[in-house]
Amino acid sequence: MKMLEYEAKSVFSTYGIPVPKGALIRAPEEVTAHLPAMGDGVVLKAQVDVGGRGKAGGILMADNGSAIETARELFSREIKGVPVREILVEERLAIEHEYYVSIAIDRSSKQPVVLFADAGGVEIESDVTAIRKVVVSPLLHDIPPFLMREILGGAPKELAPVINSLYHVFQEKDAMLAEINPLVTTSRGVYAADAKLIVDDNALARQGIAVNRDLSEREREAEQHGFSYVELDGTIGVIGNGAGLTMSTLDLIEYYNGQAANFLDVGGGADQERVKHAVRLVASMPKVSVIVVNLLGGITRCDEVAKGIIAAGVAPTVIVRMAGTNEAEGRRLLAEGGYKMLESMDAAVKAAMEVRR
Amino acid sequence: MIYGDKNLGVIVQNITGKQGTFHTELMNAYAREVGGRGVVAGVAPGKGGREVHGVPVYNTVREALAEHDATASVCFVPGGAAGDSIMEAAHAGIELAVVITEHIPVHDAMKAIAYAKLHDCAVIGPNCPGLLSPGECKLGIMPAHLTSRGNVGIVSRSGTLTYEVVDELTRAGIGQSTVVGIGGDPVIGQTFVDVLARFEEDPQTKAVVVIGEVGGNLEEEGVRSTDLPVVTYIAGVSAPPEKRMGHAGAIIEGGEGDARSKVRRLAALNVPVASRPSEIPGLIREVL
Repeated sequence: MKMLEYEAKSVFSTYGIPVPKGALIRAPEEVTAHLPAMGDGVVLKAQVDVGGRGKAGGILMADNGSAIETARELFSREIKGVPVREILVEERLAIEHEYYVSIAIDRSSKQPVVLFADAGGVEIESDVTAIRKVVVSPLLHDIPPFLMREILGGAPKELAPVINSLYHVFQEKDAMLAEINPLVTTSRGVYAADAKLIVDDNALARQGIAVNRDLSEREREAEQHGFSYVELDGTIGVIGNGAGLTMSTLDLIEYYNGQAANFLDVGGGADQERVKHAVRLVASMPKVSVIVVNLLGGITRCDEVAKGIIAAGVAPTVIVRMAGTNEAEGRRLLAEGGYKMLESMDAAVKAAMEVRR
Repeated sequence: MIYGDKNLGVIVQNITGKQGTFHTELMNAYAREVGGRGVVAGVAPGKGGREVHGVPVYNTVREALAEHDATASVCFVPGGAAGDSIMEAAHAGIELAVVITEHIPVHDAMKAIAYAKLHDCAVIGPNCPGLLSPGECKLGIMPAHLTSRGNVGIVSRSGTLTYEVVDELTRAGIGQSTVVGIGGDPVIGQTFVDVLARFEEDPQTKAVVVIGEVGGNLEEEGVRSTDLPVVTYIAGVSAPPEKRMGHAGAIIEGGEGDARSKVRRLAALNVPVASRPSEIPGLIREVL
């Protein structure tokens, strides 16, 4: 789950990483109360979960006289389609130099990787040659000095404690990504001018995070049933078991020039109750005219799936391809109910294309 | 066979859990069918002294290995504790840990895999269906009845998609040497590179199907590393960016791991890329 900037900064500052003085406001007038603590100029930053927020007009500068007016302007905007409901008001730093530091997971080496560049800012990711990459053993609690020297190169040594603290955040908060861009030097010291933190969804519970905000309403409902669910733009509903097979079904629909309405993986061992909920969930999308169920029974039993489909009793046509455990019984039940069954996923998807038209 | 044969002794971690119990019986049914040793002991802390389908249960891996000759483990320990169980197995001398568990926090997986490596223990998974060498051994949850013995290796990041491809091959009369599910998480123990290196050493394997998906560039690394004839399939060309399609690994990160560019890079290496699973048997015939 992606944290908003002000949340990430609050985490960073508990780990001793200096952040600019700041306050969160939900209405333009609230800015006034915070101005005396900020100094001459302020930065207003929309707290919306979109990438490239600065370029999209989500960050505005103001001085004390124009702060309310600027806040009003920012609250009236949509940043890449997302309305602005919260703004982070921050003191404007007198920046001497900007750096880039990011800690992520390197899939190839299976270790954390620290990325560092001597120039920070919005353009950094377009010039990957400027970024140094140093992997760290996940069994170490601190970045050892010899690796820190490699990370910093000629950059000032005063950045080292901040980078090491960021590494602690990364480890202890179960982060997929912890990033400061830009990390700035000023006459008063080093600051995290921006902050990005993405927490591993598999660790939300032990991090004390109850709700994954990255999910839509229907996605959250799906999560309660234990489904992986993503909404897409097409008209063909898709239910499968296993992420790979379900994704492959989506690809096959595209191959035959159709478009899937969703991705729903019922997971392993789904019983009839779960299948019923899955079919009803997909059928509840108004644009769905046909549903393809593609199922390979291993732990999952075909007869349970068949009972679930029948119990759902939904209006859109349901086309089924199932193979594996208890296949014969599943097919018998569906045949009695008058459902369309096909031998292969290719045939099932082709049949769905016919119905869609 | 690349990770073990009939003689492989296996333990099951969390053997008393629902999945552990169920799959111990299926693994041993397969072992009986092919004349192998199968699961010789189970581990469940606090439940030592019990039996599960005739298999004795111990409190720790160390206790189990003191009484039984086993070098492999299949782990069904739930997400939050699985990292610890992998380290326990490696520490006690297990050489191959197959981790079926899904939803392991990625930091736990990184630590456990690094720790296992220090103890010369290879980890397959997490979040994987395991491996099966037809006629020899089965470690994990793959449906054995779909497989048939032959000379095509399969290495895959996706469980059910693997079964789909195995089924296609078997029905086309093409048997498999070993089928390995390496898991779809962002951090996995054995990668395509590791498994393909084993296939290369295996006299039985003449060609390999590499099944990948969106996220990372492990498939490309694997294909570049081997001299064996390879056919690939990449799931997720229709996956929208930034959306998590099912498991943690299947997410496109900053354009690097999207399936379309992955397919392009593989094709540039002159590797056949199937556009759908049903094309795989035909492509395999061409490279065999």
